[in-house]
Amino acid sequence: MSVATRVTTALPRETVRNVVLVAAVLALAPLPVLGSSYYEGVLAHLVIFAMFAVALNIVFGQTDQLFLFMGGLAGIGGYGTALLADWTGVNPWITLLVAALVAALLGLVVSWISARRKFTVVLISILTLNLQLVLVEIYGGARDITRGSTGFPYDYLSFPGVAEAVGVSEDVVLYYFALVLLVAVLLVYVWLVNSRYGVAFHAIREDDLAASSIGIDVVRYKVVAGTVAAFVFGLVGAVYVQEANYILPADFSFLTVDVLVLIVLIVGGLRTTLGPVVGAAIVVAMEEILVANFTQWRSAIFGLLLIFLFLYFRSGVVPALADLVDSVGALRGEPGDEPSG
Amino acid sequence: MGTMAAIAIDGLAFGVFLALLGVGITLVFGLGEVLNLAIGTFTVMAVLVATWVARGGQGIVVSALGAILVVAAIGLVVDRVLLSPSYRSEGEQRILLGIFTTLGLTVFLDGFLINGLDLSRFANVLVIPAFPASYNLSQNLPTVTVGGAVIQGSSLVVIAAGAVILAVLFFFLRRTFVGKATRTVFQDERGAQLVGVNPRRVRTLIFVLSVTVAGLAGILWALGHNVSVSSGFQFTTFALIVSIVGGVRSLAGAITAGILLGLVNTFANFFVGSYVATVILFGAAIVFLLAKPEAIS
Repeated sequence: MSVATRVTTALPRETVRNVVLVAAVLALAPLPVLGSSYYEGVLAHLVIFAMFAVALNIVFGQTDQLFLFMGGLAGIGGYGTALLADWTGVNPWITLLVAALVAALLGLVVSWISARRKFTVVLISILTLNLQLVLVEIYGGARDITRGSTGFPYDYLSFPGVAEAVGVSEDVVLYYFALVLLVAVLLVYVWLVNSRYGVAFHAIREDDLAASSIGIDVVRYKVVAGTVAAFVFGLVGAVYVQEANYILPADFSFLTVDVLVLIVLIVGGLRTTLGPVVGAAIVVAMEEILVANFTQWRSAIFGLLLIFLFLYFRSGVVPALADLVDSVGALRGEPGDEPSG
Repeated sequence: MGTMAAIAIDGLAFGVFLALLGVGITLVFGLGEVLNLAIGTFTVMAVLVATWVARGGQGIVVSALGAILVVAAIGLVVDRVLLSPSYRSEGEQRILLGIFTTLGLTVFLDGFLINGLDLSRFANVLVIPAFPASYNLSQNLPTVTVGGAVIQGSSLVVIAAGAVILAVLFFFLRRTFVGKATRTVFQDERGAQLVGVNPRRVRTLIFVLSVTVAGLAGILWALGHNVSVSSGFQFTTFALIVSIVGGVRSLAGAITAGILLGLVNTFANFFVGSYVATVILFGAAIVFLLAKPEAIS
């Protein structure tokens, strides 16, 4: 079978249709609020955290490697893009790729060591948590390089001419760029889980000893998942600070990025294609309601949410909705839809 | 020379403080595989409650006692309500649940403590003040001069009181019936059940004990240092490192690791600055995890 046919047969039509549908909704979403930079920012935030959650879905959802240095990896992308561009004078779009590759390399090393030495999910989570703390400490502490907690204005990923030509603000252009990235990342996810990778991931999750005994190269598959996810974290990290137009070490802290991405993914639904988008929409909407009413309770409410979700709602919204659709279908005597999320 | 000695004493004090927290993580993890990522928050909570009581005009002893009682009570509620689902699951699932529950608890309590709670509209008693700043329980302890070294009185109190607490803890675990039951569960849960020890009750007891010790450590530490709500997670990460380097299941290991890391961190702070010192601390934990991963799984 040629690569081309394998790819086309590997992508289930219904899932791709859902991704396109979500993309269309998100593409239309800024139109009613065009000109309100506040709501454009909110939407961009949604898309960015959805991408982070897709990356976590790949590495944690598919291969049980709990990366708790998502903020740190995003920081490599954010700081790396800016600093490399400043030092070398190279176009930031190129340094963005380089920085994302550096993040990917770190993900590769962590995954490779963890998989080779058969680290448990708990050990990986603690190892990466320590890495996270080291990285953020460096972002804040290496003042000569990162300008420490003062930060600096971030205007690297620009689209010269595009905004003027279309007649919209730079923020809107960035939003659509992020949206294109999101669709790409979602399609990578769909492709991964529907290719032989997906089969291998499933086998490894069930029992990695059994998987390796039937000839699945467990280390390789885990490393691929870790590398791809780390690359996405790095790439999106730069978009994340570009959206804020400013970079600060605190943007990448454990409590700012990792905790929120975990909540987004679990709310939406672990191992579902659209769970990250649905989760991000719910979490961002909640943030907006909280900001409007009780700003200062944000952290307390997210803490409670984290506990509640993990204890009672680990399946997430997308599977719950799919079940609901199934049972409604069954009541009508129709064949239940495949959970398509 | 005098400066070095003073730094060594400060480092030892920080080490004892870390050891007290590390022992808390180690005991709870050893008994029931729940990694308490909220331990630093209990430490901070004790300090905040003590400053609150002290504001009402009470002395340090009453404030400390009140704070310890409050922290122990909260620990009891947390154990019965939040940790039970973790203990009902098995193996890796249990460890993961424990991590997320205690992490969520940290985020929740941090947010809660920064805001306080004002329900005076409904009942006059229900007012928990907000704690947005840094707090200490400074008693203006005198400095001690030994051979040219000016030593903080508060550091000496942390070392002395910390050593007593650790000694009492060891006596409790080695000599008392409940302590022996605890060690039985530590070594062999099934065996403990067979001889009539209820592991769940032992876990509750030890969880409350660990947060009480963490609270005491916080009060001792706050005699000479400022503590804010955001210190909580930092304390937790330090305690986690101590517990990892100490071997996660070994109390003596946690104490040794705590003192060692306290000294290393304080000296590194002096020579290369706090940022590099912290990087060294977390770096040590990573190296240790890579060298001896079996310690934690």
